[in-house]
Amino acid sequence: MSERTTVCGTPPTAFGAATAVTPRRCLLVCCGTGCRANNAMGLADALEAAARDAGLDVTVSSDAPQIKRTGCNGFCENGPIVKVHPDDISYYKVKPEDAEPIIASLGNEPVARLLYRGEMRQRLTRQIDNPFYAHQQKLALRNIGEIDPLVIADYVAAGGYQALKKALQMSSEQIVEEVIASGLRGRGGAGFPTGIKWQTAAGYPAKPKYVICNGDEGDPGAFMDRSILEGDPHSVIEGLTIAALAIQAEQGFLYIRDEYGLALSNIAAAIAVAEADGYLGDDICGSGRKLRLEIVRGGGAFVCGESTALMASIEGRVGEPRAKYVRSAEKGLWGQPTVLNNVETLANIPYIILNGGAEFAKIGTAGSTGTKVFSLVGKVNRTGLIEVPMGASLRHMIYDIGGGIKRDRPFKAVQTGGPSGGCIPEGQLDLAVDFDTLDAEGAMMGSGGMIVMDEHDCMVEVARYYVKLLAEESCGKCTPCREGLRQMLGILTDITEGRGQVGDIELLERICATMTAASLCALGKTAANPVLSTIRHFRDEYQAHIRDRSCPAGVCPALTVYVIDAEKCTSCGACSRACPVGIVSGEKKVPYSIQSEKCIACGSCRDACRFDAVIAMRKEEVA
Amino acid sequence: MGEKLIISIDGKACACEKGEYLLQVARRNGIFIPSLCNHEGLEGLGACRLCIVEVTRGGRTQTVVSCIYPVEAEIEVQTQTNSIVEQRSVIVALLARLAPQSQTIAQMAKFMGADLPRLAERPGGDKCILCGLCVVACEQVGTGAIAKVNRGVEKEIATPYHRPSAECIGCTACANVCPTGQIEYQQDEQGVTIWGRYFDYVACAACGKQFATAAAWEFSALSSASEAASVGVGADAGADAGAGAGAGAGAIGQGRTGVVADADALPAPPLCPECQRQQVAEWLASSSGRYGNVRVAMKELAGE
Ligand SMILES: Cc1cc2nc3c(=O)[nH]c(=O)nc-3n(C[C@H](O)[C@H](O)[C@H](O)COP(=O)(O)O)c2cc1C
Ligand code: SF4
Ligand code: SF4
Ligand code: SF4
Ligand code: FES
Ligand code: FES
Repeated sequence: MSERTTVCGTPPTAFGAATAVTPRRCLLVCCGTGCRANNAMGLADALEAAARDAGLDVTVSSDAPQIKRTGCNGFCENGPIVKVHPDDISYYKVKPEDAEPIIASLGNEPVARLLYRGEMRQRLTRQIDNPFYAHQQKLALRNIGEIDPLVIADYVAAGGYQALKKALQMSSEQIVEEVIASGLRGRGGAGFPTGIKWQTAAGYPAKPKYVICNGDEGDPGAFMDRSILEGDPHSVIEGLTIAALAIQAEQGFLYIRDEYGLALSNIAAAIAVAEADGYLGDDICGSGRKLRLEIVRGGGAFVCGESTALMASIEGRVGEPRAKYVRSAEKGLWGQPTVLNNVETLANIPYIILNGGAEFAKIGTAGSTGTKVFSLVGKVNRTGLIEVPMGASLRHMIYDIGGGIKRDRPFKAVQTGGPSGGCIPEGQLDLAVDFDTLDAEGAMMGSGGMIVMDEHDCMVEVARYYVKLLAEESCGKCTPCREGLRQMLGILTDITEGRGQVGDIELLERICATMTAASLCALGKTAANPVLSTIRHFRDEYQAHIRDRSCPAGVCPALTVYVIDAEKCTSCGACSRACPVGIVSGEKKVPYSIQSEKCIACGSCRDACRFDAVIAMRKEEVA
Repeated sequence: MGEKLIISIDGKACACEKGEYLLQVARRNGIFIPSLCNHEGLEGLGACRLCIVEVTRGGRTQTVVSCIYPVEAEIEVQTQTNSIVEQRSVIVALLARLAPQSQTIAQMAKFMGADLPRLAERPGGDKCILCGLCVVACEQVGTGAIAKVNRGVEKEIATPYHRPSAECIGCTACANVCPTGQIEYQQDEQGVTIWGRYFDYVACAACGKQFATAAAWEFSALSSASEAASVGVGADAGADAGAGAGAGAGAIGQGRTGVVADADALPAPPLCPECQRQQVAEWLASSSGRYGNVRVAMKELAGE
């Protein structure tokens, strides 16, 4: 195995066993997809240049700082992020021109203006002081943002591949037992117990067997798997290799969506170096065990993330699901015993093997152990990728981590679980989130999408939006899903456009029930969630659309016009500047007004007004 | 397979073999379960979802599609519970809007009392219920001339780019399996029109009967010639003698019967299935002195 340069700072502690190396100062530049879009790579180059200009040689081991390009820190809206170790300083929204002052400040006072500002506008130096990070517990994301994903020595120094070495000393049964004891459930959505899946596949004698990593991540807005593949590819490879040892597979696949360019290149590089260093290939760590990994690029259809469709796609057939009366663990890829796991599921495996299943099971709730990564977006003050123990409440995530609702508006609902998840209302904010509580709410864990909505979101429109997406993304093979979605989309569109009829709600419920019971795969079986959960919690809103031709949230353009409340208007003109069709006019000291007949009800003026002077009205009333 | 099981369907005890599909077992026992996308001899699709039933196994009840549900244990099956009847009726009502031109579906809907007038008809909807059986039939033929294109609500059955398919051989297998009669074809004295193309018939060289399209005959002649070659080569490699002989006879029969007279002239004169069978029989009888068994004969034919 090749010797590589040492890793910087204090490695994350999930593995405890990190060997102390000479603490060399290190600048961790976030180069995940989000920060790259804001020129993080240019920033990293600028930092290197600034260090050279300051007479520091960053390339060789010396007293000079090392500059590392890491994966995503999860707080992309405040990127690019630079962390200085071991001083534990975090900078946000850093630009290339900030490189010089940062280098100059090393060893002295931090650059104050680049620090995060707390709720009282105070400057926060350490990452842990930042409320976005303070409440997180990182397990699956343990290394991301802390190591250079392209440097295997970083991963090894952070405790990487220790679990693999340990697993090589264990029998297949022992590995499976450890994973069963951990209580780990699949993070890809369904929450199936991972250990049981492995045990089933291990029990079939047929060879060859296969392991597959599901990196298709089709949920719009979700990026947890991308982030792990980009920022810590070795953790996925290690997890997948341990799965292969457990079921005695010698061939594995990583199915990754084609758009994930950086994830694809990082995982390919990681596989190559892991093979070169003997962690993969024909003789894993000198044990004589084999594993070959191959990357398959997913064509991008949402349904291809479904296990049987994914396997069909790897086999080169049309990506359509098949009935699962025979489990993939018995007859999966090419009819052979196969284990398919999600990226995040696999990233947890090394921790479990190294620390023991029991240790992992201490985290989270009884039925859902460990942590979960969520992508928290929508109308919250702080958005991003967060990891919390299972059982954390919605309120904790939205208010403590997310910093509450933008502009202090009232919270309305949170949509969890991706397109076929459900909406959870305010009354359930204290729900302790895990697989079972979400299911019971008619929502679901899905991949961990969490979209926060406020009073300006129309729940009928939300349902329509997801139904439209699903109608386009369903594979179209079976009747209830394809035709049910087609008809529900028609009805929901009618309702949002003022053509709803009495009886529509009941009809939607009937179609939903049939889809749930009779669809072929989980897409169709869960596609009713966005409709049923909004009907359940916001029936009034449906009724207002149907009976009164009114959209209470002031969103549906066919039912809404905006007017300006002359009492509240301060004539600041923000609405006028925001209007895309230029129909808001006024002048200083005179209240502004909207030409209602031309209003497209986009809501831009209402969002722009800081005095709540723009109000949505029923179109019929104004006309 | 082989293990016998007794299952209960709507209270009736039904004998079956382990692994048999539930719909088959029900049919054999005279229990009617509606189905659309199932055709004997073709791989089950589980697409229309009409054949749903409730299966109770080990105390757990599950809704399954009977056409592809393999019986693995002594289960209890209910084909007419309230929820099954309701779901089937919603499915048929949905299909009726998808395929407003189909009489089959309209009758089914009427029979079940399934009508949801609030639902919109699919614009341009014809008789097709998008079950995909035709595609499977075409794949089975080996041509792959038609396919399911697009996904979700945009799904449709089509030839590549909606143009007459170069692969199609006019065999009409797709039309014959279609449960709603969506795929039409017109026959005249000389040939048949299907999927926008006209196919000439070919007459049997022996009896003169028009028995297939020329394209279909050529297609089967070509594919069985290559099959015969590969079977010939592989015949000694431990292949089960019965199977080898069967496949071989078929291959000879379909493809190169004419070889008796002129082994190298291709294509051989077309023969209808009956005449083929007769010729093979005669030829085998006359050459039994020379050839000990069919496999040796095949090897010779394959040019070894
Ligand atoms: C429509 C649909 C899309 C899915 N997409 C994904 C996906 O993008 N990634 C994923 O890991 N699992 C996805 N799943 C879940 C997989 O079918 C499967 O349950 C999972 O990959 C198994 O891994 P796990 O047990 O580790 O969660 C999807 C399921 C459905 C029904
Ligand atoms: S439920 Fe939807 S996605 Fe799944 S097989 Fe049926 S049509 Fe395809
Ligand atoms: S007629 Fe053409 S499309 Fe139909 S099954 Fe035969 S080859 Fe396929
Ligand atoms: S044409 Fe007929 S067989 Fe083909 S999908 Fe349509 S209904 Fe099914
Ligand atoms: S990419 Fe830098 S925080 Fe996400
Ligand atoms: S006949 Fe069983 S699903 Fe169509």
